[in-house]
Amino acid sequence: MEAKPNTIYRALDRKAAAITEFTMRQYRTKASTWVILGVGLVAISLVMLIYIDVMASGFESIDNDGDSLDPDNDGYPTGQELKWGTDPYMDNSHPGLLTPPIEPEPASNYIDEDGFDYSITGTSTRQTTGFDDDGDCYNYDGTSSRKDSNQNGVECDVLLVQDRYSGQWNVNPDLNVDEDPDDAAYVAEATHMAFVLGIGKMGFVLLLGMFLPLFLATGLIRDEMSAGTMHFMLAKPIARTEVFLYRILGYLGIVWPYFIALGILFALISGFMGPSDGLFRFNDLGVWLAIVFATMMASFVYGMLFCTMGVMWRYGIVLAIPFAAWELGMCLISMGAPDASILRFSVIGWALMIVDAAAVLVWPNMDMFLLQGTTFGNDLNSIQTSAFALDFFYSKPGVGSNGLISSVFATVVLLVQGALLWFIGGAIFKGKEIE
Amino acid sequence: MMPDFNQEGKGQDQAWQPDLTVPAVLLEGVSKSYGRIFALSNITMALNGGVTGVLGTNGAGKSTMFNLLMGKLKPSQGKIRLFGTDPWKNPAPYARVGFVPEHEKMYDWMTAHQFVSTFARLNGLTRAEAMVEADRVLNFVGLTDVAHKKIGQYSKGMRQRAKIAHALVNDPELIILDEPLQGCDPLARTTIMNVIRELGRMGRTVIVSSHILQEIERITEQIIILHKGRLLALGNLHAIREKLDQIPHRIQIEADNAKELAKDVIDLDDVSGISFPNKNNLSIQTHNLGAIHADLPKVIVENGHRVHTIDNPDDDLASILGYLTNGGGR
Repeated sequence: MEAKPNTIYRALDRKAAAITEFTMRQYRTKASTWVILGVGLVAISLVMLIYIDVMASGFESIDNDGDSLDPDNDGYPTGQELKWGTDPYMDNSHPGLLTPPIEPEPASNYIDEDGFDYSITGTSTRQTTGFDDDGDCYNYDGTSSRKDSNQNGVECDVLLVQDRYSGQWNVNPDLNVDEDPDDAAYVAEATHMAFVLGIGKMGFVLLLGMFLPLFLATGLIRDEMSAGTMHFMLAKPIARTEVFLYRILGYLGIVWPYFIALGILFALISGFMGPSDGLFRFNDLGVWLAIVFATMMASFVYGMLFCTMGVMWRYGIVLAIPFAAWELGMCLISMGAPDASILRFSVIGWALMIVDAAAVLVWPNMDMFLLQGTTFGNDLNSIQTSAFALDFFYSKPGVGSNGLISSVFATVVLLVQGALLWFIGGAIFKGKEIE
Repeated sequence: MMPDFNQEGKGQDQAWQPDLTVPAVLLEGVSKSYGRIFALSNITMALNGGVTGVLGTNGAGKSTMFNLLMGKLKPSQGKIRLFGTDPWKNPAPYARVGFVPEHEKMYDWMTAHQFVSTFARLNGLTRAEAMVEADRVLNFVGLTDVAHKKIGQYSKGMRQRAKIAHALVNDPELIILDEPLQGCDPLARTTIMNVIRELGRMGRTVIVSSHILQEIERITEQIIILHKGRLLALGNLHAIREKLDQIPHRIQIEADNAKELAKDVIDLDDVSGISFPNKNNLSIQTHNLGAIHADLPKVIVENGHRVHTIDNPDDDLASILGYLTNGGGR
């Protein structure tokens, strides 16, 4: 039994692996573990079912400018009549009477015929951009002032003006420019991204990342102390801080694979259901990776925290609940104000920053996409609604807009938080008298 | 604070070596109080080698003393040393200690073999080494046949033996057993007592607690008597017994007419005194318990007395404690 070299494997095969394995098996034998994991699965799957239903039923394209209609019943849709300069309201005036006569186009040609095509280039706070795809502005038989309704001296353009205080862009297109975008495509895209971010942030990071530790990690040390079985472990030459750490490793050995499995499942479902050019939205995998990683990090820090609370007091879960409420509040704040400095005093603020950072990296055109959607039309329409939903869940990462730096920074902060809590929890456990 | 990177079970202090010049167990003026209640007060003793029985009623402080020795509790006053090291500050001495806690709760979902081998790895054994050691100790306590059955299906005696196997797996020099015989059937009792005696023969220091004098008597002669947190006696059981024999034994009889019975009993040779604790009770004092017990039935039957109970109150721990605390047991 002596004199074998102590390789890393042989070293870890001793105390650390023993307690970690033991803890994982202990979890597996408890019915409560399966109930909690099952409840988490059901809760998050319900949201996913809504997503599947929304995506499967599809989105309707709307003729936002009404030019697919044919009010004079001459067989030519309004858009085609406007293009050729005939009167859409007089059945004796239509492009078929021109020489050579023009064949009528199907009405569907005039639905979703003029999409968003403006963008911000350079740093100017006042930009003229955009293009009238269907020509119903350029060809409009009217005064120049009708073609330049935003009065910036350029016909048929989109005027972008940035507010010098808020930094918000004000979008002002000329009449009949970008007036009939593809609703179905926009709403599908926005809804999909809103769901991915919503399920990721609220479902994974908050619900699974916090409530699973609340119920699984609080009793990690406490239950053993109450039952008296901690005596078996502490009768061995092992420091209590080590027991604390290895018990946490065992807990992570249960919840991390669970998060990874759920993340893969959801990434597959949303990849196939979401709008994409091909069969699968590979693009989103980066966001899902960040969601699973953020959930793992959150569960690590919360596990340390709730386990410590369990050590502190027999009813540690009572201490944990106000904290969970605080974190829930911080989660909601991070949706609206991701750079609020109070978020620095939370765990979830940093975990969500990892998701935000990935979203910025994966969806670089998000700002323009949101600007187009939220400013489209005067009344609340499906594009605006989906854009506002996406805007709620999407946030710029709090420390700088560079996604990579933000995610690395947030990860380091979470690791430090976890290590600090291990230090505190271990010290409290060390000073605890066990009957 | 740092984890034990070499994982070899040397605890925090990697360079820990037992101090062989000091006894295995040393308590100096140790007290443990909860508020104003003293669970243990001013205990001083040193133990090294042999089997020592710790006697005391429930609440006498036996478990408190063991928990102090095992670093579960911090002494309010005094100094505790295991192999010269303070167990509250450093778990390293447990590499040489086996502890059987009194708690009944065990991991019912494990087999005894899993239980013993898993915790053996906390002593720094690898998985393979732990398997071999678990087989060895389970054989030693006689659980080989059922080693792969779930602990939940075990009888009380088998559970106690599994706990003992867990404590012995690191081949410890000091073994502490807290009420190992409690709740066991006679067969299990005998097995466990044999195991403890065997450990003593192997030269280990064994400390075993019980609240039943007869159990301890069958295991060892060296005893410690704890009462209400105080160390009442430390030494050879027979020496303590001899002291007890110097004072008269009592026989208590409850009869319809105690005074009439007393008249008949006083003629017996070995009666050295008679008293009446109350109207229907008669207390006989004697230095020869056996003779009185031989003669007493005849006296009662011949004179037609009605007797309800005959009791020897001095044969249990309580009377020894009474003698030691009050000098006479009355």
